Amino acid sequence: MSPTATTTRAAAKPATAPVYAYAGKLLRVNLSTGKCWTEAWSETDRREYLGGIGLGAKILYDEVGPKVQWDHPDNRFIMATGPLAGLPVWGTGGLTVVTRGALTGGATSTQANGFFGATLKYSGYDAIVMQGQAKKLSYLYINDDVVEVRDATHLAGKDTWETQQALEAEHGLSGHRLSVYSIGPAGENLVRFAAIHGDYGHVASKNGCGAVMGKKKLKAVCIVRGTKALAAHDTRGLIQVADDIAHDLKTDPSTSTLYNFGTLPGVVNLSKLGVLPIKNYTTNLTGDVNMKEWEAPALRGGFDHRGHQCNACGMRHCHIQVIPKGRYEGERVDEPEYEGWSGAGWTIGLTDKYSVSWLNTRIDRACVDVNEFGWVCGWVMECMEKGYLTEKQVGFKLAWGDTEGAYRLLQMISHRQGFGDILAEGVKRASEKIGGKAAECAVYTTKGASPRGHDHRGRWEEMLDTCTSSNGTMESANPTFQTEVGAPGRINPFDGEQVAKLVGMIRGRRHFEDSLGGCSFTFRTRIANLASALSAATGWDYRLKDAVRFGNRTAAILRAFNLRCGIGTDVEYPSARYGSQPVDGPAKEHDVRKQWDRMLEVWYDTVNYDRKTGKPRKELLHSLDLDWLARDLYGKK
Amino acid sequence: MPGEAQPKASRAHIEVTTWVTKHVGGDGTGSKLFDEAIGRGDTPRTVLRRFTRRFPELDSALWSPDHSDLGSHIEVLVNDAVLGVAYDLDTPLTGGERITLLGQFMGG
Repeated sequence: MSPTATTTRAAAKPATAPVYAYAGKLLRVNLSTGKCWTEAWSETDRREYLGGIGLGAKILYDEVGPKVQWDHPDNRFIMATGPLAGLPVWGTGGLTVVTRGALTGGATSTQANGFFGATLKYSGYDAIVMQGQAKKLSYLYINDDVVEVRDATHLAGKDTWETQQALEAEHGLSGHRLSVYSIGPAGENLVRFAAIHGDYGHVASKNGCGAVMGKKKLKAVCIVRGTKALAAHDTRGLIQVADDIAHDLKTDPSTSTLYNFGTLPGVVNLSKLGVLPIKNYTTNLTGDVNMKEWEAPALRGGFDHRGHQCNACGMRHCHIQVIPKGRYEGERVDEPEYEGWSGAGWTIGLTDKYSVSWLNTRIDRACVDVNEFGWVCGWVMECMEKGYLTEKQVGFKLAWGDTEGAYRLLQMISHRQGFGDILAEGVKRASEKIGGKAAECAVYTTKGASPRGHDHRGRWEEMLDTCTSSNGTMESANPTFQTEVGAPGRINPFDGEQVAKLVGMIRGRRHFEDSLGGCSFTFRTRIANLASALSAATGWDYRLKDAVRFGNRTAAILRAFNLRCGIGTDVEYPSARYGSQPVDGPAKEHDVRKQWDRMLEVWYDTVNYDRKTGKPRKELLHSLDLDWLARDLYGKK
Repeated sequence: MPGEAQPKASRAHIEVTTWVTKHVGGDGTGSKLFDEAIGRGDTPRTVLRRFTRRFPELDSALWSPDHSDLGSHIEVLVNDAVLGVAYDLDTPLTGGERITLLGQFMGG
């Protein structure tokens, strides 16, 4: 194997001041030429853009013009971590992928964990910004100052676990000494909802970021655990805050289940609220399934398992498990998150937990977003049951709960074989192509973003967030200690005005979290705690109000990027099925469509954007010190 | 299940679920059902007040510190619907209602 490029960093000038919490450099890679170089980023920029989605949004806005579509070589593929990555705060191996995505054609931010973020920082970089397109399948190799675009043709067709195993064998490194994020066949074949997967069980899944990677012919990014120094400004203070956050996670009633079981409690809990998506939104009843078996202790206890924690994490969240019986007995899989149980399970009528667990890992290995897979596969199953799709069209008979059939469909999608080629475009485009009654059964947003693995007809705040967001998924996410920002602790979830106001008020928190280099689960604490951690790490005086300002700035930049791409207010609606009235279950009395327009009005008013044009209002932009963005959106006045 | 019974007109049924069961002698899973007598003028608030007096940990978990409202960690459902739909805390009960205490969780 001969490296196509090796570039050492330019000799650094003597530092005028120590850099705390950051590596202080961005790694740039041009995949077309193989050239790799670094650039410093200033203290001012670090404070203003932090990292993760904050940094990524600014680079995307500055460098990706409206004519640069998701599959254009000039699209940027940014893997950014943040100031807390690699420091002793729980779950700080995070990275955020930012790019122009394949499903919405707009901005994307999608977050994953493991060790990548910490490993990248220890190698001396806060983010990797990739542009261009390699001539042949390649992977990026990083070992401190050695950065090379290497031949990956021998990895073609391998799934994500196989790719990681092959690179571990190739480099003689395993465990936490080598972090790998890669694409499987779905990414190589430009499936519009291809994800990227890393460190056995972590996925940045939204908006077809894996397709962008595939188009750039980038099979993997592989980082040897670095040896560079990384310091906090106030190590003792940081450890104290980290301890406070951990204490909150363990003891707060709503987060202690997360601490003990990760997202597993979601299945039973959400089923009681009508928020568990069952059979492609055709019902909200769990039927004769023994839900006791779906409670978190039973879900975990039904498998042989061991902890598989991310960097510096003390949560009992991520696990690797072995399937103890049945057709897939003995297979090692990643314990599904709640969304795995829903997307690879309930959404497609599959309630045998061993089969769900197996299928979920197969979806990860193919590098497919499990949410969108659920909407696609569930749509096909429903349409075949109702006769809207035929066996001849699909190529075989697929019924609810058919594990092997779902796996066959996954393979067809991943390799774009037969009907899988249509499905690989995502359920919105596939259903529009088929048309007729089939089109009415598909769950999607008119913008193209995949809803998360819930039935949002019982959780209107997430439906509104998914439809109005500018990052290909949700921007506000579910409320977390929302009274901290002045939002009510409790609302009527079926009162559209209350819902819209809440979603608008909590907007920005998620962007702050996703810029710090950690995990959205270990960061389920008060923003003030995260701001304190950031202050101790960097030496800044960072407060709650700064975090809120930062989140709103980032949201405005993403919104402006999407508007420039032609993604406006006309595509902020749920599809017919996504916004339909449930036929049964706890939310059956409630029809979100009747309140949707009013919800949009209230949301726009709350976030201070113009309802007609979709633009953040000029006075808002000035108050956020985004004068340059105001000039772009409104001209020089 | 202790206390499990068919609904009848002068009773309400309180179902304590998920991690909330720890506050009523459970292990944090499943459900525990309680059958409560109700009288004229009883509402979800009055029934739950009487109920939580017997379980001090649940009392502090369910209510806000001054007991004027619900705290933020436990959802209350009446007949499988969240409060604010057919019932709120002060809607008179007619008998036979099932009041569910569902622990909030974060994640997923």
